[in-house]
Amino acid sequence: MEDILEKLTIAVKRGKADKNSPYPPDLKGQDGADELTAEALKMGFSPDEVLQKALIKGMHLIGEDFSAGRAFVPEMLMAAKAMKAAMKHIQPFFKSGSVKQKGTVIMGTVQGDLHDIGKNLVAMMVEGAGWKVVDLGADTPFEKFKAALEENPGAIVGMSALLTTTMVNMKGITEKIKALNPETIVMVGGAPLTQEYCDKIGADFYSPDPQGATAYLDSLVH
Amino acid sequence: MKRHCTVRLEPLGKKVEVPEGTPLKDVLFSYGVEFPCGGKGICGGCRVKVLEGDVSFDEHHRQLLKKLNIDDTSWRLACQSHVTGDVTLEIGQFETFILADSTPFHFQPREGYGIAFDVGTTTLVTQLIDLKAGEVTGVETAVNPQARYGADVVSRIEYAVLQKGREELTRLIRKKFATMVNRLIRRAGGVAPEKIVLVGNTVMHHLFCGFDLTPLSAYPFMAKNRDACHFTIEELELKTQDHTDIVFLPVLGSFVGSDILAGILATGMAESPEPLILVDLGTNGEIVVGNREKILCASTAAGPAFEGTNIDMGMRAATGAISSVNLEEGKVKTHVIGNEQAKGICGSGLIDAVAVLLETGKIDAGGKISGDEDRIPLTPEVYLTQRDIRELQLAKGAIATGLQILRESLGYRPEEIKNVYISGAFGTFIDLKNTQRIGLLKYPEEKIIKMGNTALLGAKMSLFENHDRIMDILQKTTHLSLETNPDFQDIFTENMMF
Repeated sequence: MEDILEKLTIAVKRGKADKNSPYPPDLKGQDGADELTAEALKMGFSPDEVLQKALIKGMHLIGEDFSAGRAFVPEMLMAAKAMKAAMKHIQPFFKSGSVKQKGTVIMGTVQGDLHDIGKNLVAMMVEGAGWKVVDLGADTPFEKFKAALEENPGAIVGMSALLTTTMVNMKGITEKIKALNPETIVMVGGAPLTQEYCDKIGADFYSPDPQGATAYLDSLVH
Repeated sequence: MKRHCTVRLEPLGKKVEVPEGTPLKDVLFSYGVEFPCGGKGICGGCRVKVLEGDVSFDEHHRQLLKKLNIDDTSWRLACQSHVTGDVTLEIGQFETFILADSTPFHFQPREGYGIAFDVGTTTLVTQLIDLKAGEVTGVETAVNPQARYGADVVSRIEYAVLQKGREELTRLIRKKFATMVNRLIRRAGGVAPEKIVLVGNTVMHHLFCGFDLTPLSAYPFMAKNRDACHFTIEELELKTQDHTDIVFLPVLGSFVGSDILAGILATGMAESPEPLILVDLGTNGEIVVGNREKILCASTAAGPAFEGTNIDMGMRAATGAISSVNLEEGKVKTHVIGNEQAKGICGSGLIDAVAVLLETGKIDAGGKISGDEDRIPLTPEVYLTQRDIRELQLAKGAIATGLQILRESLGYRPEEIKNVYISGAFGTFIDLKNTQRIGLLKYPEEKIIKMGNTALLGAKMSLFENHDRIMDILQKTTHLSLETNPDFQDIFTENMMF
């Protein structure tokens, strides 16, 4: 019985989205996250069990591999695709309230910056850790963060930047978010950032990798 | 009055007297030492070894050295140090490789002399041309004096915009330009050039011409002014005839500047019936695809991996660098520039090493080192880390993605491309078969042509042209922003694999 959850964990970690997907080559023709999730639900596993024991676990494993250098951006993005394929089946239960998410995280690449692969990686890890993610995309001005915060009161904000010249825009946005509500938690990340810069602009958390971000978020709810 | 100290510099064999407390950065900079991270103390590129005497340092400096794994008993970071007494230093940095150009080209003989000037982010090269014979009669090279404020264009923008250093950067480059051109003229017996053509990327263009870089610091990364800029000899303090025509050629769009415009001229792309590709394997990774009908250009965030930066034991292609790696009877063999003991690895060596390690199965198609190791030794001294391979994957993935998006936007299949021209210093060293093996340039070896410094070559060719040919290129060329392509992430992901 538990076998199927294990298979699903592996499908997510290895980035096998569905039966037809050619990636990874050694799993060709086998069931992917899509089929395995549908089957697990049919077998009577609760959506919460599928989420906790397979999907979150699979994402955690790929996140660990990424932090340790064993996996890289392509493997992470493939795992994200597998996760998305599985989530299609779980999503309806979020709406009905039978599966609870840990909270909401609003994420965006900072105003002036177009590079959003890094932010996408963190977004998928956060979603894969059981959070609702509101992704605002690239070149995100304060107004967009503000509107998303109004729609999702109490949400946590995550911001990224790739360039030193756009990183500076984080300062103004963080200040404005804190002016709206000093309680709002702001997380920052991206290649040019440091803990020092995070402290300087009054943000609450910095991590050099996505794994750190999910660990921090989990520490907020436990 | 301040005490004076003697600073001896090895292996240059120079001796200088400076007041106590002088920043070491100021002393070394005049000897061509570069400060890749802009003097923040984070790259270790300006390290010096204290052979005699001492350079005192504080706790912050000690922490920086520790972070960089540099031994603090004898090494110091020049950018963090001051002269505190008589001292003998060995400069850890190696000579910079500057690429001039001696490619023959077709030209219409004219009377007089012309000067071509390539304003590179790292290096400056200028040549004096006898327009009648089409011959180079003088060359001057130098390190770009702006380099002390950062190695790449983003750090220059940062210095200009955030630290209000734009005027200083403009002053530095114009002064160096005048020194080099005046010397070129003087050494040729005081000839009077008819025309001086400057080329460079958009940031170099803006800094030379004195334009604001703020619009280039954030999306949509628009150049403030794309036009050609004309100067008088007084403005640039040149000692030559009044009517000399001095022009910095126009920008193509965003980060793609006149160095690439000159490259298009050098390849003859705007006259070619068949589609051609021009690729510059530098930090900005500029790419051009097109023919006489239509030309597309883009810059890719390739990063400095091909220049050996951000690679654990990376260095420029200079003495002591592993410049090529191959497999002989199953054993890894390296070639070191200058046949010395290997000190590090440069971009071409990195590409070769990864190609060889893919061949031997030490690295898999996803880029992971097999087993639990996270570094692979190439020689007893030099190794490759897992992170180095990741850096290469990002760089080659960015270039390959740009090439694919531009080519597909024009509707060409790979086999329809007649030739791929590689420009830049780095291109001259690389093994073409290995660029294909790692998926950087997915074109057969016989189609790829190493063209060297196409910016300088194109600048020289433009000395013989009237403005029409430049206008023709400008009209045919469109700049594309790669990141706005909806498939960018998927294409990039695919191209990061081996």
